[in-house]
Amino acid sequence: MIGNLAIVLFDGLAFGMLLFVLSVGLSVTLGLMNFVNLAHGAFAMLGGYATVVATRELGLPFLWSLPVAFIVAALVSVAFERTLFRRLYRAGELNQVLFTIGLVFVAAASAAYVFGTAQQPIELPEFLRGVTEFAGFRFGSYRIFLIVVALVITGLLVLGLEYTRFGAQVRAAVDNQRAAQGLGIDVDSVFAMTFALGSGLAGLGGALAIEMVGLDPSFGFHYLVYMMIVVSVGGLGSIAGSFVAASLLGVADVAGKYFVPELGAFMIYLVMVVILFMRPQGLIGKR
Amino acid sequence: MADALLQLENVRAGYGEAVVLDGVSLTVPQGGSLAVLGRNGVGKTTLLLTIMGFVDLMQGSVSFRGQDISRLAPHRRARAGLGWVPQERDIFASLTVEENLTATARAGRWNLDGVYSLFPRLRERRSNMGNQLSGGEQQMLAIARTLMTNPSILILDEPLEGLAPIIVEELIAKIGAMASEEGMALVLVEQHAEVALGLTEQAIVIERGVVAHAARSADLLNDQATLDRYVGLNLVEN
Ligand SMILES: Nc1ncnc2c1ncn2[C@@H]1O[C@H](COP(=O)(O)OP(=O)(O)O)[C@@H](O)[C@H]1O
Ligand SMILES: [Mg+2]
Repeated sequence: MIGNLAIVLFDGLAFGMLLFVLSVGLSVTLGLMNFVNLAHGAFAMLGGYATVVATRELGLPFLWSLPVAFIVAALVSVAFERTLFRRLYRAGELNQVLFTIGLVFVAAASAAYVFGTAQQPIELPEFLRGVTEFAGFRFGSYRIFLIVVALVITGLLVLGLEYTRFGAQVRAAVDNQRAAQGLGIDVDSVFAMTFALGSGLAGLGGALAIEMVGLDPSFGFHYLVYMMIVVSVGGLGSIAGSFVAASLLGVADVAGKYFVPELGAFMIYLVMVVILFMRPQGLIGKR
Repeated sequence: MADALLQLENVRAGYGEAVVLDGVSLTVPQGGSLAVLGRNGVGKTTLLLTIMGFVDLMQGSVSFRGQDISRLAPHRRARAGLGWVPQERDIFASLTVEENLTATARAGRWNLDGVYSLFPRLRERRSNMGNQLSGGEQQMLAIARTLMTNPSILILDEPLEGLAPIIVEELIAKIGAMASEEGMALVLVEQHAEVALGLTEQAIVIERGVVAHAARSADLLNDQATLDRYVGLNLVEN
């Protein structure tokens, strides 16, 4: 029983870390820039397919395909931001939702056309396969890797946003766009870079997700739901909030499926409803 | 005007349909100083926002160091040396005092040590968040934050508004000290005409969208008749 509990906690945490990497960019664009970007799910899927192409067609090792997924998603997202999204910044939330959800449909159809509707397999390096024994428990090696990657990303994000000049400029631009511009901050570029960073992380999340949850053209929709839950439970614009929420939801999801199979995938929604009932602004949200 | 630092020619500007300024011209020479006077609502803030590029310029031109900057984005104007301090202060609430100072700083004469010795109170408050300051401290921070960008012209929008008399005294002395620093020009919008005129060399009065009167500050200070005509100018400090 104790052993099962440890494994469930561990697997749940790993799934939560995956959700965190997938969602944190959405929290930033929603919370900091007030832009409802449902296409975030499509950028995650793009990262997944970028990794599939990089490993299978270009023969890149899996680890090297991860930065490729980040960069592809970041670049494509910034192209969209520059040409399309920025026209919607003042267009109201409904327009943003309609436009960006439309993009997810387009992305799903494109993925089905190019790659077919089947699940994409991925080739992992030896050291990420199998299990690692520790204190008598057998932990999935890939899940350990996932947790380490997510912790490193969290550390870098917090450091970058709280302790660098660029981070201070992002916060300044969010606090007061006009004053920021009047003091010399190129707010458009700062937002574009922030946006690219968030989408890049989604792409990385999409790549990391393949081994754990698979990749097919419905990925953008399917995980968009999880992303929205993480962001709303964690609170808009809060990196720490996303982290806590993703961990909690990941554990709840895995534990629910394991201990209360009748409830199955419903557990995660139950947790969301309870938390939002008690804290409508999210765990660490500002508003 | 070879030595003009900032020059506006025949500026028409406003908000959408509403024209606030219609035909404003002014010149600030290198290292010079200009008081901008006028009743509440005549468009003094709009004038400064036009200089910074936040308000649509419908006609005329804004030049800085002899270059037409009418189409330049606000952040480029700031980087070129226009040092604007907004009327609302606009302190960044989620930055500490020190981050407010350093986030937009550019190299030059003014650095952290410099602004901290100008406003010692900011040094005491350096780790406070921007939204934990009194009105006077916010104004000091707003001015110091702009000084840290090392502008060639400091543009102040009613820096004394709503502050306690003792803080007003302190700020007047500090602005006077900054203005006499070699090199940095000053544009000062102020309701307290006496104070503004005492701190500047030249003055203009805005009325009905135009420059209704232009004079040397020292002369206008003694020209009670003109000051009276533009009611709302309180010569006697209250
Ligand atoms: N954002 C705005 N949109 C429309 N009208 C404005 C705006 N800001 C100011 N105004 C109007 O422009 C005029 C000038 O305002 P302002 O420049 O703030 O005057 P001052 O700074 O001299 O008190 C006022 O009539 C004011 O109502
Ligand atoms: Mg004003």
